[in-house]
Amino acid sequence: MLYFSELEGKKVFTEDRIEIGKLDDIIFMVSSNPKVSKLVINTYRHDQLILPFEYVLKMNHSVVIKKAYMTGGLEENELYIKKNLLDKQIIDIGGNKIVRVNDVSLQELNTPEKYEMAITGVDIGLLGILRRVGVESLAYNFLHLFGYNLASQFLSWGDIQPLELTQGKVRLKKREEKLQDMRPEDLADYLEKTNEKNVHKFLRILDKKFAAEVISNLNINYQRDLFLHWEADKSASILQLIHIDEAVDILLAIPRKKREEILILIPEHKRKELQHLMNLSRTPIGKIITSEYMTTTPTATVHEVMGKIKGDTAEYSFFAAIYVLNSEKQLVGVFNPHDLLMQDRETPVYKFMTQNLIEIRLTTPIEIAIRKMLRYHLPALPVVNNNKNMLGILTFDQVAGFIQKRL
Amino acid sequence: MNNNKFALYFQRIKMSLLLYLSIFGPATITAMADNDASGVATYAIAGAQLGYPILFLLVWVTILLAITQEMGMRLSLVTRKGLGDLIREKFGIKAAIFIFACLFVANMGTIIVDVAAFKTTAHILHLPAIPLAAILIAVTFFFVTKGNYKATQNIMLVSCFFYLAYIFSAFKSNPNWHLALANLAWPQGIKFTDGYWKLYIITGLGVLGTTITPWGQFFISSFGLDKQIEKGKLLFSQIETYWGAFLTDFFSFFMIVATAATLFVHQVPLLSGEQASLAIEPFAGKLAATLFAFGIMNAGFMGIVIVGLSTTYAFSEFFGYSGSLDNSFTKSKTFYILFLVQLLAAFFIILLPFVNLFQIVIATQILNAMALPPIFFYLIKFTNDKKLMGKYINNPFQKWFAIGGTVVIAIASLFTVVAQFIKF
Repeated sequence: MLYFSELEGKKVFTEDRIEIGKLDDIIFMVSSNPKVSKLVINTYRHDQLILPFEYVLKMNHSVVIKKAYMTGGLEENELYIKKNLLDKQIIDIGGNKIVRVNDVSLQELNTPEKYEMAITGVDIGLLGILRRVGVESLAYNFLHLFGYNLASQFLSWGDIQPLELTQGKVRLKKREEKLQDMRPEDLADYLEKTNEKNVHKFLRILDKKFAAEVISNLNINYQRDLFLHWEADKSASILQLIHIDEAVDILLAIPRKKREEILILIPEHKRKELQHLMNLSRTPIGKIITSEYMTTTPTATVHEVMGKIKGDTAEYSFFAAIYVLNSEKQLVGVFNPHDLLMQDRETPVYKFMTQNLIEIRLTTPIEIAIRKMLRYHLPALPVVNNNKNMLGILTFDQVAGFIQKRL
Repeated sequence: MNNNKFALYFQRIKMSLLLYLSIFGPATITAMADNDASGVATYAIAGAQLGYPILFLLVWVTILLAITQEMGMRLSLVTRKGLGDLIREKFGIKAAIFIFACLFVANMGTIIVDVAAFKTTAHILHLPAIPLAAILIAVTFFFVTKGNYKATQNIMLVSCFFYLAYIFSAFKSNPNWHLALANLAWPQGIKFTDGYWKLYIITGLGVLGTTITPWGQFFISSFGLDKQIEKGKLLFSQIETYWGAFLTDFFSFFMIVATAATLFVHQVPLLSGEQASLAIEPFAGKLAATLFAFGIMNAGFMGIVIVGLSTTYAFSEFFGYSGSLDNSFTKSKTFYILFLVQLLAAFFIILLPFVNLFQIVIATQILNAMALPPIFFYLIKFTNDKKLMGKYINNPFQKWFAIGGTVVIAIASLFTVVAQFIKF
């Protein structure tokens, strides 16, 4: 992840190291997939040129562009990061102001075919302000001395209404009529950050099918809370719409009495399928999970994590992911060693960890866990309790034996 | 029958109060709060040191106040954004931090003076000063967190009535009204020396800084937004701003006259602003002195609320976080925490025995004046921006008067700084 403030003012070179000028602004496409389309460069001849992004080879410590480049102009549906997005207010549904765009984060999309970059979201926290004035690490380390860790506050692009941007407004995409246009993952992401009352309110106004999709993207503890709260008939109708693996997982997490109330209301063929999956395995997952996993904090640096890997994991028979716990020991993120190796030494973990976690519970049947592993291509799954505390991990090695038996 | 009469009587009072409240809006409150305790102290000192001739400056300060406040009001009504919002959005984070720092330092100074004046005045009235100051802080915080916008505004307006005390004090001090009024047109009636003019510039800058304040510029715009005045009512709001500016200095006039007629005329050295209430006693009588003292205590309360709020309003405009009096405590924690921090900091500073009110009052008001040029720079730039303001752009008089005023303030600030180091 890169921040606009880190890129602004960076020198622009051609691939044969001829200096062109300095990066002034970035132009992006206004859409739900805000790709960077052009760069604005202040040249040393005191004029500005607009460079289409297809000529850019690399953008991090400096900007490197192709030798033979052509300039372009602003097109419809394009906006500037600095001119149109940075420092603007983000307005919520009621039009009350809430936060400001302190920085903009960008992500490289490095495919073999071409080099692309897109906006992932906006920084709305204090760290963003500090970064803009160039004292981020100074202030961060200073507060760290006193045991206070600054965390970044971040709003994903999915939360922002791109259309309103063109009218000079940054508005949160929480308008009820707009909810249907959101990706379910993004809405789930947002709902997890809001309170329970809001979750209920939003889910009530969505159509059932969409709500079901959103719910299957919520983290498992939210799912559990929702189903505990709802009337049985509502739970039953939603359950039928979500993926059967998720449905089984949810049902097993709520008390037996509630579960049976719900099951009665589900049509017979579907109920049988659910019951079959639930009864598949009575093997408690707790017996096969392992406590051989490594955790770290969101604020640890890459350098510190590497040291810890060398020190702690020498004896591990399986090592595929590093889990990130917050100060309350709740699981908040995950990354793999490859993610780690791609970063600079001093980068803190929260900057690159994945926050969208796939978790299982002690009540999750092994079959469901395996299905999740295959569906999301994961070599291991974290097992959490109702408070998001980590209990262990289930690795592919451990379930391999189980799969063999069933073949 | 008797009961009925009583009810009718109260009905009438209520009606006239409502009328009063509907005419007096944000501009009036801002303008009136300009006469907070630090303001009263500054005017009293100016009157005592310089006599009637300082009234000449007051006229020009009033015009500049009216013009700049109107600019701020017009800017927020046309753009639907506060001054802080615009600075951040058009000039970026560094400008935002710089201007907020100016504002914060100036406001902190004013709040300290307000609490200190409250403490000293309570002391003079033989009331337990420190506990009272602590109660003041608690009441202020409770008042701002629990009250809503309407309640805040109404209580503010009602306490404006206390300002009548200054008029009373001025009349009791038997001033030379003819000379006072003549000095509005041109400084006259005393022997002018170089030393007098030097003091006139320095103390005059303090008078300017306490009348036209950095916080006033931010407050007028965010208060106007909070009240959700429509663009169509612009004319009404403009008139109100001018009226507010006049009203502010109408009272300031009497404060200056009260001390000029007593302390300056009799050459009584004034060691601190709130001592004015004691010092005028031999000349104006006990009642006038006590009223003056109560006026200062009330003004301290007003100043703390409004100046403290203006810091928080500006903070939320510059850096985000929801900031409105109509939000509950939990909804905008940052807003209230910042408010409380200012009050507590001021309270602990006035507990220090070596903080002398007389020394800090003029200094803090000069600080206020010095913070004005950069703020005016942005204010004038925005209100001259055709793209931003459309047909509501400044007219040439507004533009050039404001620019002229800014330049004069900058020069006077420079003079004051230089005067600290070089003896003339």
